[in-house]
Amino acid sequence: MMKGVFSLRKLFCILLALALVLTSTAALAEGIVLSSNKVEIDGALKEYATAYEAQTGKKVTIDTVGGGADYGGTLKAALQSGAMPDIFVIEGPSGYELWKDYITDLSDQPWASDTDVAYQVDGKVVGFPVAIEGYGLAYNADLLAKAGIDPASLTNINAIKDAFAKLDSQKAELGIDAVVSLAASVTNGMTWVTGLHNFNVYLTGYLPYGDTSVIDQVLAGQLDAARFQAYAEYVKLLFDYSDQAVLLTGNYDSQVHAFATGKTVFFHQGNWTDPNLAAENVSFNIGYAPHAFLPEDTQSIFVSPPSWYVVNSQGANIDEAKAFLTAMATTEEGHKYIVEGAGMVPAFKAVKQQPTGPLSKAVMEHAASGDIYSWQQYKLPDGFGMNTLGPIYELLANGTVDIAGFTALFTDAIATIPTL
Amino acid sequence: MRTKNRWVNVLFLFPAVFAFLMVIVVPFFVGIYLSMTNWDGVNPNVIFTGLQNYTTIFQAPEFLYSFLATTAFTAINVALVNAVAFGLALLVTSRVRGRNVYRAAFFVPNLIGGIVLGYIWQFIFNNVLPAMGRSLGLGFLQTSLIAKANLVVLGISLVNTWQYAGYIMMIYVAGIQAIPASLMEAAETDGANYPTRLVRILMPMMASAFTICLFLTLVNSFKQFDVNVSLTNGGPATIFMMKAINSSEFLALNIYNTAFARSKLAQGQAKAVLFFVVLVVVSLIQVWVNKRKEVEM
Repeated sequence: MMKGVFSLRKLFCILLALALVLTSTAALAEGIVLSSNKVEIDGALKEYATAYEAQTGKKVTIDTVGGGADYGGTLKAALQSGAMPDIFVIEGPSGYELWKDYITDLSDQPWASDTDVAYQVDGKVVGFPVAIEGYGLAYNADLLAKAGIDPASLTNINAIKDAFAKLDSQKAELGIDAVVSLAASVTNGMTWVTGLHNFNVYLTGYLPYGDTSVIDQVLAGQLDAARFQAYAEYVKLLFDYSDQAVLLTGNYDSQVHAFATGKTVFFHQGNWTDPNLAAENVSFNIGYAPHAFLPEDTQSIFVSPPSWYVVNSQGANIDEAKAFLTAMATTEEGHKYIVEGAGMVPAFKAVKQQPTGPLSKAVMEHAASGDIYSWQQYKLPDGFGMNTLGPIYELLANGTVDIAGFTALFTDAIATIPTL
Repeated sequence: MRTKNRWVNVLFLFPAVFAFLMVIVVPFFVGIYLSMTNWDGVNPNVIFTGLQNYTTIFQAPEFLYSFLATTAFTAINVALVNAVAFGLALLVTSRVRGRNVYRAAFFVPNLIGGIVLGYIWQFIFNNVLPAMGRSLGLGFLQTSLIAKANLVVLGISLVNTWQYAGYIMMIYVAGIQAIPASLMEAAETDGANYPTRLVRILMPMMASAFTICLFLTLVNSFKQFDVNVSLTNGGPATIFMMKAINSSEFLALNIYNTAFARSKLAQGQAKAVLFFVVLVVVSLIQVWVNKRKEVEM
């Protein structure tokens, strides 16, 4: 009698343990999961996924992490919890190095030969370019015309200096608060603008597209003193002529708002701000001037895919994931989604549609004429641009250090890169 | 019969013990192990590196500053939260009109999530107060409190006090109400004035409430994360030991950034282990000191 009770309990324990084991493996999602880091295209991407499911019967779940949230951290958490997405995003070499065990070779995909900017490693295509993005010194053409400045003349540091001084002296007539709209504060998470995008001006400005000489030197822990001096003076110039409230305590929205409402003439942002500018009903003409920090002439802006989709090589749906990306790059619906739905500049030659946003148009024109510099900032170690360089820019912005102090802090920080 | 009881005990304890083992004990020891490796959070090839992470973090200026900033914040915050909470508790247990409304109102900020609250206060500090300063011509309001490296800790502390004082107040209120009215009346009859009664009768009689409240605020301040992230994100920048670092990146945020933003999970874990040790030592000392002041009824 007693013995019978014991074995029943044992059985119960075993069943309980089994149930625990089984439930943990049974939580597999159906269809494929795409993890995106672009909040601004979340709606369009979901719409496209729904249309794709209606057409092919394959379910695609879009999982967007963004709006200041930490994409890498979320992805690591997903990996640990066994919910690694089938398609995820890498932003360059540091992302590739981190995730290379989970990245599939996509060289045989039909879209791979249709683009110049796929992510390649050792001749193999591994990343699907999400789009092409570009940034420069965006300007309000109407205000420049009113001040009598020809935007086509803004091709070197002296022209930019003169234009800034002239605009600054006409603040009241033009109805502006400051010349430049730029945000640099750590508090508002704007160090991606300074520590990554602006630093890339030093890394690739005036160099042939894809030239890695300066970034290679930086990764070895060194700065080119003369080049950096000119760059630092340009950064100081931008900061001095920036709206100080936006610069020191502003966030992304306040930076966009200052430019969109005509309170500044220049705007240090890329074509991803098109939807934000449209939402503020911007009616003035917009174009891109170069970040010309040297006395030589240039017209180029910084253009590259910001990120690439990669397929999880350890996932259960590799073929479905590949098919989804192929459809995006090769079908009419996919092209419509990229350009009209998401408002992005397409990275594929087969795409016929033209984006309507003014900055996206300007990026396309620059890309077509070849007036472009590359993005190398994502070769920096993880978090280095935003967490280590970002605070140094802020110290220059709020006047704690001058150009010499800025250079000293920068030199020390760069020197630590090989030890990271 | 005895063996049968033991089995029943084991069965009833099993869920709690199992959960405790899997959620607390196992991760704790895995964490200590990971702190002695080079794991980046993704790569499956983990190499054991001994105490290397610990020697690295002790030489990192940003971690040392983070430690100092957290300690400063804890000192300011514990004093501020408890002073305000005790004052409010005295107010809402006095005969003031509408004290029940106050009691509820002071507690409400504690129900707002820290992230939301941080963004709201960021807006107040960066936009509302400077705008008021400009229209009233008050110079000291015109620069944001959280944009200055030497004042930002105070700014976070003010917000945390606003959020947390109501909760601590509730514990003090319970402590005050547990004191027999006869004691206070007897003291009053003997001619003790209000400050004397407060210091000689009320405060010693509620010493256990102080123990709890100091413990809660101490631990809460040390582990501050959500308001830190949303209010300042570690900023503004400052210079420490010739390096540009973030002036309000408290330990929890520093650990998070090390582990995830910089993909040095093992190093972040080493910081977390150290953080744990410091927190245990400090709170044990605090409870020991406070316990000696408690009186038995």
